Amino acid sequence: MSMNNPKKVFLAAAVVAASTGTTEAAKGDRVQKLISKIRDDSAEVRTNAWLSAGEVGAPAVEALAKVMTEGDLEVARAAKRALWKIVRHCGRPGAGNERRAVVGELVELLDDEQPVPVRREVLWMLSEIGTRKSIKPIAALLSNKELREDARMVLQRIPSKGAIAALKAGLKAAPEDFKLNIAQSLRQRGVEVSGLPCVKLVPTKKTNVKPL
Amino acid sequence: MKRTNQLNRREFLAAAGAAVSVPYLIPSGVLAARGRGGANERITMAHIGVGGMGGYHLSDMVERRGRGEVNIAAVCDADEKRLANAVKTAGPGVDAYRDYRYILQRKDIDAVVIATPDHWHGAQMVHAAECGKHVYVEKPACCTIEEGKAMVAAAKKNNVSVQVGSQGRSQPEAYLAHRYLVNGNIGHISRVDCFHYPSPEDNNPVPDSDPPAELDWDLWLGPLRWRPYNRRYCPGSFRWFLESGGGQIRDRGAHVMSCAMWWMGADGTGPVTIEATGTPPKKGLWDSAVLMEVTYRFKNPDWTLTWTQMPRDKLPAAEERTGQEPGGKIVRPGYGAIYRGDKGKFIHWGGDGGTWAEKKAREWEPPAGAKDVYKSPGHKEDWFKGIKTGEKTIMNIEAAVGVANLCILGNLSYILGRKLEWDQAKQEIVGDEQAHRMMYRPQRHPYHL
Repeated sequence: MSMNNPKKVFLAAAVVAASTGTTEAAKGDRVQKLISKIRDDSAEVRTNAWLSAGEVGAPAVEALAKVMTEGDLEVARAAKRALWKIVRHCGRPGAGNERRAVVGELVELLDDEQPVPVRREVLWMLSEIGTRKSIKPIAALLSNKELREDARMVLQRIPSKGAIAALKAGLKAAPEDFKLNIAQSLRQRGVEVSGLPCVKLVPTKKTNVKPL
Repeated sequence: MKRTNQLNRREFLAAAGAAVSVPYLIPSGVLAARGRGGANERITMAHIGVGGMGGYHLSDMVERRGRGEVNIAAVCDADEKRLANAVKTAGPGVDAYRDYRYILQRKDIDAVVIATPDHWHGAQMVHAAECGKHVYVEKPACCTIEEGKAMVAAAKKNNVSVQVGSQGRSQPEAYLAHRYLVNGNIGHISRVDCFHYPSPEDNNPVPDSDPPAELDWDLWLGPLRWRPYNRRYCPGSFRWFLESGGGQIRDRGAHVMSCAMWWMGADGTGPVTIEATGTPPKKGLWDSAVLMEVTYRFKNPDWTLTWTQMPRDKLPAAEERTGQEPGGKIVRPGYGAIYRGDKGKFIHWGGDGGTWAEKKAREWEPPAGAKDVYKSPGHKEDWFKGIKTGEKTIMNIEAAVGVANLCILGNLSYILGRKLEWDQAKQEIVGDEQAHRMMYRPQRHPYHL
């Protein structure tokens, strides 16, 4: 179709907009159905729902994260498992676009407004599929006392130079009580770190049990 | 070997090295073994993890101490109640520790028995080796591929003897089965089908809570990422969550597939592809597959290994026995393997402390010229032999990591829902970046490799 004619261009754009709208509606419908089943009273229905979540993908991420914080233990667990299913599905070879979309949604969930347990879980999801774009928001959590240990382990797992650079920067900025942790991550990634010895073999925990 | 006012073995060896002009003072076993215990010398032990199998090992070692085979210097556990019980079992003169690293610092301790939850095996074995201790570590050897590599490297670098607790290889009927199979009694074997009953579902899920006062939850978690305590994690139920025990495939797979790899002459080899499916628990904290099917394809030579967790009514029927057989009656008929050759098939049940071979293997009389196979003197005896002579143990760390890798790869394929390709030479998953990342799991500071 030649696009020289303004009328044709307008019509084509309208068709794309209409089909995009239909697709978005369909996606929204799938997400709603998934969430509804995740909240179902039946353990079987919930299980089948989270098992099928992979194909629903990125559009379901935010909604599932919300359900993860709901009061019912098993519903929250099903939502978490659904999120993990999405992460494992989108990480398959050849699914780069799906993966990037999911990573984008997950990164949004690292925001301060999200509860710590959600952010901790999301960090570990990003450890499996996180891309260069996720490094900066993960690195920002190196200064968060509740999440910094998870954040440094997750950066350690992401195989990019950017992750190493983020750990190096994190080490410079880290308080004394966290420097050894980051130093360990850097050593694990093959970086020499001086002045911060490995303390893995230093015992620290005393027992109250006495020998006979 | 008492600690106080006596030369410990290492001090003695150092002195022996300096006194080379008077070799008649030195037991021959010491000189022959370059830093290992002399043939008649008692090994001084410590036990890390004293609940469950750890309790069994401690009681077993107490009996051995009574026979003059070993000394017991220390016991250790993150749970103070278990530790107090272990102190009672071990008796006077045995020190108690919460933190295993105090044990590793002691120069008088030659060897450690590690029977902690699975997520601790890798780090503790590596740390013990780095401190020059010989190690008996419970199976499965490791929870990740990279842990396994570190364990092999640490044992080699530090020249310590490691025995992994897949003790099925040391059972009397395992020897009979091995000998029967390698002599071609069922012909060329192209397929081994392992069977097992399902992993359990948690029918009593509970919310997270504070840990009990006696448990050091931080230490129990160790290398695992932090999470709140839940009483469905421990003590024994770590077995049913993927990050630690990994379900039946890692628990009993480390036994049944250990026999398969040994009897097939496949130690040191690995599959080229792994494909798993399974059904998850419908509720609760535990997440290991309830039912499961895994297919491992090996090349050069070509054969197939399968692992199936199936409903109990689908399991093969157990053989009738009188109890007079070398392994006695079959008391755990719910797992084992069927070996399929071009001239017939062979079945065994168990594969751990009980390994029961089908009658035809037990009754087979080797003709003149038949091949014989290694007959273990007992799993711990085989380890002691390794310590004293430097010979490889029957379930050495390389073999055990090979078996653990099968279990890990099966679970990874199940978790990811796709077929994996494995490069045995490079010891890595190929063509799947996410799976490749999952070969390794970062560990919490300071509980890391």
